[in-house]
Amino acid sequence: MAKGKSTKKGGRSAFSGLSVVASAVLLFMVALPTFVTLVVGLLPSLVAFIFDRSPGRTMARCVFGLNFSGVAPYILELWQVPSQTVGGATQQIFQPLALSIMYGAAGLGWLLYLAMPPIVANVLNLSAQRRVGELRKKQRALIKTWGDSLIKEVDRSGN
Amino acid sequence: MAEQAEDQEQEVSSGAAREPVMDAPGGGAPAPEEPDEANPEAGPENVEFSTGGKSIEIGNFRVFLDLRMPEFDMGPCKAYSADNLRRDEGSAFAVVADPALPTRQEHINFLTGMHMAGQIDLLDSEIAYWPPFGRNTMVLFYEKPAGGRVVTGESKKATIDEHEIGTVVIEPLMGVLQSFGEKNLAHRNIRAGNLFYADPLRQKVVLGDCAATPPGYAQPLVYETTARMSADAAGRGSGTIMDDLYALGMTLAELGIGHRPLSKLGDQEIMDLKLAKGSFQAIASQERLPLVLIEPVRGLLCDDPEERWGFAELNAWLDGRRTKPVQANSEKRAARSQNLSGRDYYTVRSLAQGMAKNWVSALAPLRDGTIEIWLRRGLGDNDRAKALADAMRQLQWAGADKRAAEDVLVARAILIMDHQGPVRFKGFSAMVDGLGYMLSYDVQHGRGPQRFADVIVRDIPAYWFGRQEGFSPEIQKLQQVYKNLRYYVQQQSAGYGYERCLYALVRNQHCLSPMIEQEYVVEISQLLPALEKAAESASEDSWPVDRHIAAFIATRLEDDIEGQLMAMQNPSDEVEYSRAIISMLAIVQWRHGPDNLQNLSHWVARLMEPAIKVFHSKARRERVETEIPKLAKRGNLVELYNLINDEQERRKDQSEFVEAVAEYSEAESEVFDLESSGPARLELAEKVGQQAAAFASTMIALLTVSALFLMHIF
Repeated sequence: MAKGKSTKKGGRSAFSGLSVVASAVLLFMVALPTFVTLVVGLLPSLVAFIFDRSPGRTMARCVFGLNFSGVAPYILELWQVPSQTVGGATQQIFQPLALSIMYGAAGLGWLLYLAMPPIVANVLNLSAQRRVGELRKKQRALIKTWGDSLIKEVDRSGN
Repeated sequence: MAEQAEDQEQEVSSGAAREPVMDAPGGGAPAPEEPDEANPEAGPENVEFSTGGKSIEIGNFRVFLDLRMPEFDMGPCKAYSADNLRRDEGSAFAVVADPALPTRQEHINFLTGMHMAGQIDLLDSEIAYWPPFGRNTMVLFYEKPAGGRVVTGESKKATIDEHEIGTVVIEPLMGVLQSFGEKNLAHRNIRAGNLFYADPLRQKVVLGDCAATPPGYAQPLVYETTARMSADAAGRGSGTIMDDLYALGMTLAELGIGHRPLSKLGDQEIMDLKLAKGSFQAIASQERLPLVLIEPVRGLLCDDPEERWGFAELNAWLDGRRTKPVQANSEKRAARSQNLSGRDYYTVRSLAQGMAKNWVSALAPLRDGTIEIWLRRGLGDNDRAKALADAMRQLQWAGADKRAAEDVLVARAILIMDHQGPVRFKGFSAMVDGLGYMLSYDVQHGRGPQRFADVIVRDIPAYWFGRQEGFSPEIQKLQQVYKNLRYYVQQQSAGYGYERCLYALVRNQHCLSPMIEQEYVVEISQLLPALEKAAESASEDSWPVDRHIAAFIATRLEDDIEGQLMAMQNPSDEVEYSRAIISMLAIVQWRHGPDNLQNLSHWVARLMEPAIKVFHSKARRERVETEIPKLAKRGNLVELYNLINDEQERRKDQSEFVEAVAEYSEAESEVFDLESSGPARLELAEKVGQQAAAFASTMIALLTVSALFLMHIF
């Protein structure tokens, strides 16, 4: 069953890869300027997808999300020009500001990926400490009501 | 069984440490303290006690301490002159029981306030403080017979003409025996020395006291039947009317010859003579009996109870009719003797007695089969020989404790030889119906209960029962009592042991607990007042119930207290132990009062600390602790007990406690989980953080694209 599952997953991944390649080929044939802009702009995401082998590829998804947010305005800008050319597109994307925005956004994505786990860990620790405090308070109240015999009985039943 | 016997030996020996004080007042009772004359309150509250000169008031009587009446003494029990304060006519005397000897309760109950021709009137009985003893004891008040004692000296000829003995002695005594017989009682104190003239004209006699000492205890040996004479004086047993008839025969013989029969012989010689020749022949060979009395004396002294004269034969003789002749000696005599320790024996009974006296040397002829052969060839008694062979075969199956098995063999061999005689075991000798009195005597005279325990644990009485022939309701009754004894002795805990046997067997045995022994507590209703008094000087850490008191309550109380005794089996469980004790005392107070027992309540309250622990809740404990002194002040043990035994409250406390324990444990395990799950939590945080970052990134991308798209449209 596990084998079947992994085969299914692998199949889907291959299908997804194929569809991406097919889309890229289609885009290359139909809208080359857009293709060039996307390839250059999403270069960090491509690198992240290649190197991130973790399950779910969360880092790549993080980088891609913000990287795409940085690339999207330039794509729209390109589409607003009536005659799209590769030269125009190249000129647009190789401006230092544009590259900074696109790659900076990707870097922000990566930073988000690095910063989020410690934040979550702190939240979880604080919540656990609060719970332990509550439980200790409850135990103290029980001892106050029942005395040492409670501890003895707990020890005895524990033994 | 041998192991049990060993265990029991250790157990009972610990309780036998008291040494006898033989020269103390009370004929061997533990030494009393000096009477506190300055403190008249020293006497018990239920007896009006006031010493004026040398007399004391006990109940309705004034007893004169300086007016002894030795003619009414009963063994170690001394008689004193007394005045009946309620009646002017007649005079009375008091018999002061020896506190170290139990009295006979059934006889006291039967005779008190009852007039019976031929028996001295027992006016009343009281348990009272007796200054010469410095302690409480039983005092019996009798109507003083008008004519004085029949036999005034050992050698002086009795003043009754032998031809008048029938009307003066036999008729009134037969009346007494018949009355006793109707109640299934035996007098056991019939002797010439205990006969008094009822009237100044000396026309009738009355029998003296029969309740102040154990049955047959004060009887000279010659008055005891051949079956009972070899028992120790205290263990001669309650007996039956047949024993009384035998004593009547001996009384007639003494009155006829003018002195006690065989008085020149020692006890052992009397025994030997009676066993060798038979009772009548023994008397006839040594004394000159008046012709007129030979027939009744022969009939009454017949050693076979089946052949012995009864009322019908006596009546016939009184009417001048001839009665069937009886065989003087029915004991079979062997053609050749059996030697034991240098003495020759010709009858089985005398051999049994010889074996009991020579315990150690009796084993060899038993083991080598000499006695068995003697029984077969010398006596031609195959039944006894077979029984002896069976007993010896059982010796082969004995386990590791060979010595104990050999002792059992000797004891059984004695019973085979003399199945009607006493149970004899290494110096112990008591009739089965006298085991209780013998135990009481041993315990109170420094011998301890070991001998009794040995006999019971080794099951010797069971063999005695097995040797009895035919059906007898008395033996059936004894057998039922015996079954319980063995169980009691084998139990080690408080409320059982020899103490339980003692109180179960001797109805009038006072409680021997050192705390209240001086108070002479016989009835359960006397127990708490005695403990109330003991509580005044009780030590802080002592319990008000010891082994004796537990056994006394278990025997005398009508209610079943087995549950409490079970709880007392484990003194280390303080909670249950203290609850059991308080419960026992509370039941006694509830049943028998008195309502106010302040000292005892305070004593119990001091010991209630462990019992308070039955509650787990601190609030409940505090409430109980506050309540205890208030209730102790009221002197009500029942309320004190109810305080710690509120079943509903206890159940609620218990269930709440169980819930609290579960809650605490749950919290503890959750805390443990939280505290020990740091690395796992970090791992989780990383995973969740990454997923959250990816989600946030995706959302930002979507929002950006959506915003740009919208901006483009509008």
